[in-house]
Amino acid sequence: MSRGTRTVAAFLAAGLVAAWWLTEPRPLAESDLPDHSPVAEAGERIFWAGGCASCHASPVDGKRARKEKKLLLGGGLELETPYGVFRVPNISSHRQDGIGGWSMIQFVNAMQRGISPGGRHYYPSFPYTSYAKMAVTDVMDLKAYLDTLPSVSGRIAEHTLAFPWNLRRGIGAWKWRYLGAGPVIEFESADEALQRGRELVEGAGHCGECHTGRDRFGGMIASRWLGGAPNPEGKGRIPNITPAGKNTAEWSTGDIAYYLESGFTPEYDTVGGSMVAVQENMAMLTPEDRKAVAAYLKAIPAIADEARR
Amino acid sequence: MSYPATVRVLFLLLATAFMPIASAGDDPVHERHELMEGVGDAAKPIGKMFKGERDYDMEVVMASLKTWHDASMRFGDLFPVGSETGEGTEAAPAIWEDRAGFDEALDKFRVATEAALAASPETLEAAKPAIGPVFETCKGCHDTYRIEDE
Repeated sequence: MSRGTRTVAAFLAAGLVAAWWLTEPRPLAESDLPDHSPVAEAGERIFWAGGCASCHASPVDGKRARKEKKLLLGGGLELETPYGVFRVPNISSHRQDGIGGWSMIQFVNAMQRGISPGGRHYYPSFPYTSYAKMAVTDVMDLKAYLDTLPSVSGRIAEHTLAFPWNLRRGIGAWKWRYLGAGPVIEFESADEALQRGRELVEGAGHCGECHTGRDRFGGMIASRWLGGAPNPEGKGRIPNITPAGKNTAEWSTGDIAYYLESGFTPEYDTVGGSMVAVQENMAMLTPEDRKAVAAYLKAIPAIADEARR
Repeated sequence: MSYPATVRVLFLLLATAFMPIASAGDDPVHERHELMEGVGDAAKPIGKMFKGERDYDMEVVMASLKTWHDASMRFGDLFPVGSETGEGTEAAPAIWEDRAGFDEALDKFRVATEAALAASPETLEAAKPAIGPVFETCKGCHDTYRIEDE
C-alpha cells in the first residue's frame, strides 16, 4: 500500500468512526430519572393533551376511532408520506405486542430521545422532538395512565420506506440538529398560564408538528414557529395560528379556549379536517389548560402568512 | 320616467313571474350557502350568552331556535343532484353518495331544534342542556358531509 492510499484509508476510517459516533443513540440512564411517584390520573391529562389516540387507536372499519374506542391503542393506522409508508405501532398495555412490558426508563427514552428499548432510533413521524420538551414527570405520569388502559393483541408490521430513509442510523445525525429539551419560545414573564400553555403546545400537544413549516431535512423551522405549513395529509395548508394568522388574528383568548372546548369558531363555523380529532382531545382538558393554550398562542411572535405557492 | 299604469303592472307581473323560479332552486349552491350563514349568525348571540359575554335573553334565543328549525326544514331540498360543485361549495361528495345518511343527519338537527323549542328555556341554566344537543348536530353533520376549505 502506498503512502497516499494509506492516508486516504486513514481518513475514510476516521470518517466512518466519526459518522458512527455521530449517529449513535444517546439514551438517558435510569439515574437521570427524577424522584417521582407516577400518578395515573395526572397522566390522563397528558394523554388527551398529547392526542396519543389520534394515531395509536386502532381504526374502526377503516375510520378514526371515536369515544371509548380511543382507549384501544392497538395501532395499525398507515401514514402514506413521500418517504414511504409509516405504520403506527401498538402502544396498548399488551406485554408482547404493545408496550406493557416496558420499564419507566425505556418509555422515557422512547418519548424524549426517540430511542426504542432495543436501542434503535425511531423515525420522527413519532413526534418525540416535541415530547422532548415535556417535563419528565409528565412523561412518567403518562406511562402510569397507559398502564391502566386495555391490552390489545396484534403486532404491527414495520414501516416500508425507500432508500435512504430506510437507514435508521442516519436519524442520529438528524437528532443533533433537531432534538432538544429547551423551549422554542422564551418568555420574559414568568406568568404561570404562559408556562403551562407552553408545555402543552410545544410539548405534549405537539402543535408545531403540523402548524410549523419544515426545512428540506424535515425539521421544524423555529423562526416560522406555528406560522402555518402545507398539509402533510393532503391538499391545502395547515393554518398560521400565531397572532398574525389570517384566520385567527381577531380571536380573543376566550374565543380560542371556546373553540378548543366546543369546536366552534367565533363565526360559528365548526372545526374541520384533521383538527377535529385534536379539538375533541383538547375538550377533555380543564378550562384552565385551554385558557393557558390560548394565552400562549396570543403571546408568541407573530409570523406573517407565507405567500401562496 | 313615467309609464302608463298598465305597462307598470306588466313589468311587475314579469318581475314576479321569475321570482318563484329563482327561489325554487335556480342556484341551490348560493341559496344553501346563505341559509347556512343565517344558521351561523343565529348561533352567535347564544354563544355569547353561553360564554358569559352577554345577558341571557329568551326572546333572542327563541328567535335563533326558530331560524334553525326553519333551516332544518329547507336544507333537504337545496342539495339536488347536479349541485355537487361550483361557487366554492364546501358540500362533500358524501351527501350524494350517502343521501340517506345525510338526510338522517339533517333530521337530527330538526329533532334537536324542535326539542329545544319545546323546552322554551327561560334561564341560561335551562338553555345550556336544551341547546347543547343542537350544537352537537352541527359538528356531527359537518364532520362527514362538509369538506374542509383552505
